[in-house]
Amino acid sequence: MECPVPNCPEWKPASLGRKISRWRPWVQTGFLGVWLAPVGQWLHGIPGCVFHCYSCPLSSFACPIGVMANYAALLPVVGEVPYLLIGLLLLVGAAGGSIVCGWACPFGFLQDLLGKISHRKISLPSWTGYLRYVVLVGLVILLPLILGYKGIPFEKQVVSICRLCPAGALEAGVPYSVQSVLAGKGWVMSGLKTGILLSFIGIALFVHRPWCRVLCPLGGFLALFNRFSLFHLRFNPQRCVECNLCRSRCSMGVKVDEAVNVSGCIRCLECATCGAIEPCFALPQKEEAPKE
Amino acid sequence: MFKRVPQLPVNPALRAQERHDFWPGFAVALAGLVLAFGGARHLTTVDTADGNTAWETQLVRAFAAGGLQYPDQIPPPPPPKLDGLANPGEALDRWAKQQAHAQPPAWKIRVDLGAKTPCPT
Repeated sequence: MECPVPNCPEWKPASLGRKISRWRPWVQTGFLGVWLAPVGQWLHGIPGCVFHCYSCPLSSFACPIGVMANYAALLPVVGEVPYLLIGLLLLVGAAGGSIVCGWACPFGFLQDLLGKISHRKISLPSWTGYLRYVVLVGLVILLPLILGYKGIPFEKQVVSICRLCPAGALEAGVPYSVQSVLAGKGWVMSGLKTGILLSFIGIALFVHRPWCRVLCPLGGFLALFNRFSLFHLRFNPQRCVECNLCRSRCSMGVKVDEAVNVSGCIRCLECATCGAIEPCFALPQKEEAPKE
Repeated sequence: MFKRVPQLPVNPALRAQERHDFWPGFAVALAGLVLAFGGARHLTTVDTADGNTAWETQLVRAFAAGGLQYPDQIPPPPPPKLDGLANPGEALDRWAKQQAHAQPPAWKIRVDLGAKTPCPT
């Protein structure tokens, strides 16, 4: 395989990078079998680490964001802390940062597939990534908390992440609405949620992973770990020929030629194609005594 | 054809290698592991509908199945059946008095383990 960058004929893509590009869709497909496991409904009591609606008829694990918002709404009533959720997110984040976004998230996989339909892509400014933290703090934590203080249970809150979430619309709203239509009872999903879903699909054709880049509160949280996670990407200056293949292959708009372990990265490892960006694990190192 | 993003002038030798230290990641991962194990065996302060205390996993499952019950969702006991009663008015009065003096339930929220609402929101 020749390097796909026209100005770089002498450099061949690293074999690891080639394999990664080929494996990723299959790994994502494999993880679908984990998240969409109808026999795994007994796992509903354990939050997952990806963005996947727990109301989906086939879902196995619980949606971490839905669980977080429910706990926020319950805080004024019972003051419970989601130890299991916090522990799992810390564990996953510290181990791999946002690698689950690129390799395991079913909603991210769907956006990857939608993105392949159209080749014309609109680039987004990097500051839009901070909106994920606005959604996380505002919509997932503060709003349910405030409405919970007013005595409104999460299920009855008119504005909530679950009522606006396109993943919930696709994975739960659509199946139940289709079931209802087949039973002759009409479309049960609200017009707002249907509109959000259709708009999202339209946008995903022209913006790569719009939910992940701009709005995903879970991706935003996991990306906070990218700067110190055990699994990380390392830059090898000896292998860099300044071809900029790393940045050219990044569909998330990360300036890989400047820094790679940043909050916009989903660890898809496409930038590792050239070989100068190497995926690796942090290992404990013994400090060497200074030589006399 | 693959399109290349124009390369800004960079000097790879001056760029940080972005090596991660082992210990911060390990410490946070270990803390997460301990919290996750603790959470899985954590008894919450929330009761279940059958009078036990709910595990954290049961509370999480209740979020997905619409299994949270609030006191105002519990209907009051129905009025007594008046058929065959010697003094139906007295029975109704007694029922009304019981309702007037009924104490609100001590719990604020509880978990119905048998709930199966497909989409609570």
